[in-house]
Amino acid sequence: MNLARLLKTDEAKPEAGFSSAGVVMELNGVHRVHEGPNGPLTTLQNVSFSVRSGEILCILGPSGCGKSTLLNMMAGLDTPTLGTVKLKGRTVTGPGADRVVIFQEAALFPWLTIAENVEFGLRIKGVSAGERRDRAITVLEMVHLKEFAGAYPHQLSGGMKQRAALARGLVLDPEILLMDEPFAALDAQTRDILHGEVQDIWKKTKKTIVLVTHNVREAACLGHRILLLTARPGRVKKEYTVDLPMPRAIEDSRVVEVTREVLHDLKEEVRPKPDSN
Amino acid sequence: MLILKRTLFYASLLSIWQLIVMLEIWPDYVVPSPSAVFGAVYQGFTEGHFGPGILSSLKRLLIGYGVSVVFGAIMGAALAASKSLEETAGSLFLGLQTLPSVCWLPLALLWFGLTDTAIIFVIVMGSVLSITTGVMTAMKQVPVIWIQASKTLGARGLNLYLRVMLPAAFPAIVEGLRQGWSFAWRSLMAGELLFVTVGLGHLLNVGRELNDMAQVVGVMGVIVAIGLLADRLIFAFADRYISKRWGFRRA
Repeated sequence: MNLARLLKTDEAKPEAGFSSAGVVMELNGVHRVHEGPNGPLTTLQNVSFSVRSGEILCILGPSGCGKSTLLNMMAGLDTPTLGTVKLKGRTVTGPGADRVVIFQEAALFPWLTIAENVEFGLRIKGVSAGERRDRAITVLEMVHLKEFAGAYPHQLSGGMKQRAALARGLVLDPEILLMDEPFAALDAQTRDILHGEVQDIWKKTKKTIVLVTHNVREAACLGHRILLLTARPGRVKKEYTVDLPMPRAIEDSRVVEVTREVLHDLKEEVRPKPDSN
Repeated sequence: MLILKRTLFYASLLSIWQLIVMLEIWPDYVVPSPSAVFGAVYQGFTEGHFGPGILSSLKRLLIGYGVSVVFGAIMGAALAASKSLEETAGSLFLGLQTLPSVCWLPLALLWFGLTDTAIIFVIVMGSVLSITTGVMTAMKQVPVIWIQASKTLGARGLNLYLRVMLPAAFPAIVEGLRQGWSFAWRSLMAGELLFVTVGLGHLLNVGRELNDMAQVVGVMGVIVAIGLLADRLIFAFADRYISKRWGFRRA
C-alpha cells in the first residue's frame, strides 16, 4: 500500500492520433517494484504504450532495464505493482494462449516430438487429433521444419529449435506473439536467417509481434516501431517509426541509418550517470 | 567385445575359486566348491523349496514397494507443492531417513505380531521416504521455463500437472523409484533374516543351521540374480525410453 502511494504518478494520457480499434494491447502507467536485497527496487516506472494490430513492435533497452519484466507482464506471467495491461480492452490477469511467448531458449518439451510440441496448445484446447495434425503440419511447413515433424528436440540445432517454438506459438493463432530475446542465443548467421523468416511469417500472417531485444540492429531490421527504454528504472525514452518495406536486411543502408540513430540515444543510457548508484 | 571380456572375467573367477577349493586349505563347510553351490541351487529349485520361498518374498516386496510408491508419490508431490509442508514434515522425513530400516522391526513385531504385515511394514518404512524425497526433488527440479511456456500455451491446473510437470520430472522420478526399490529389497532381506518365515531370508537361515554352506552361497546368488533381473527388466527399460526421448545417456 505504502509502496503504491509512493509510486503514484499522473495517469498516462491516451496516445493521440490512433483509434483504439487498431490497438491490440495497451499498457497504462505500469510500474514494477521488486524486492531487492537492499529494499524495494523500481525496475519499471510509469510505462505507457500501445501495441497496434499487425505491427512488429521492438522493445529495446540496456540490460537490466526491465524489458523482459515488461514482456512477462504482457504475457501475464508477472503483474504490475501499479498500472494496467489490457488486451483488447480487458485487463490481463494471467497467462493465456492468446499471448504466446517465445523465450530465449526454445523451451520445447523434450519428451514430445516436434509435431507433438506444436500440437501441445491445440491439445489443451481440445482440438481433434486430425485437425491438430493438419494445423501442425501447415505451420511446420511455414517455418521449413516439415521433415522434422517426427524428430525430438534434442535432434535439432539451436535455430531449428527456435523455429519450432515459433511454430508452436503460431499454430494457436494468438492475438499477439511475444518474443523475449528469441535470437540472442544463436550464432550470427542463424540469426540473420531467422530475421528473414520472421519477416516472411509476418508478411504471410500479419501477426502482431512484440519483440524484446538488446540488439539495436535487430530492432531496426524487424521493427515497424521501436520503443527505447532507459536504464533502470525503465521508462520509455523515445519512440521510433521505421517506415521501410519488408523484407529488410541488417546491412541495408536505411536500416544502418536507423541503427546509428538509435545507438546514439542508447549510449546515453549505457554510460553511467553521476546521480545513479 | 563386452560379452567376451565378461565371460573371460567370470570364467577366471570360477577357476580361481575351484583352485582354492582343490588346495583343500579350508573344509567345504567354510568354502564350498562352485559345483556344490550350483548343485544346491539346482536341488533347491527341483526339490521345490526355493520356488515357494522366492514367491513369498517377492509377494511381500511387491506389496510393500507398491504401497511405498503410492504414498511416496503423493507425499513427494505434496512436499514439492507446499513450502511450509517441506519446512515441517520435510525435516521429520529427513531425520527418519537416517534410521536403518531394520530398526523398525521390533516396533513392527509389537504392532503386527509375527505376521507378513510386520515385514511389509519394514519394507514400506525402508523405501517410502526415499521415494518421497526422490519425487519431491524431481518435481522441484522442473525448469521454470517449461512451466511458463506451457502456461502461455494455455495449460493450467490438471493439464499443467499431467502434461508438463509429470513428464518433465519423469527421469528424476524414475531415479527415485529405483533407489526406493533397492531400499525395499534390502529391508525385505533384513526383515526376513531376523524374523523366521517362508522366504529367501529363511532359506539363508536354514542353510546356516544345517551347516550347508553350498545352500547359503547358492541362495545369496539367487538374491543377486533377482535383484539384477528386476533392475534390468524394469529400470533399464525406463532408461532406454528416457535416453531416446531426452537424448542423453544415463549412467
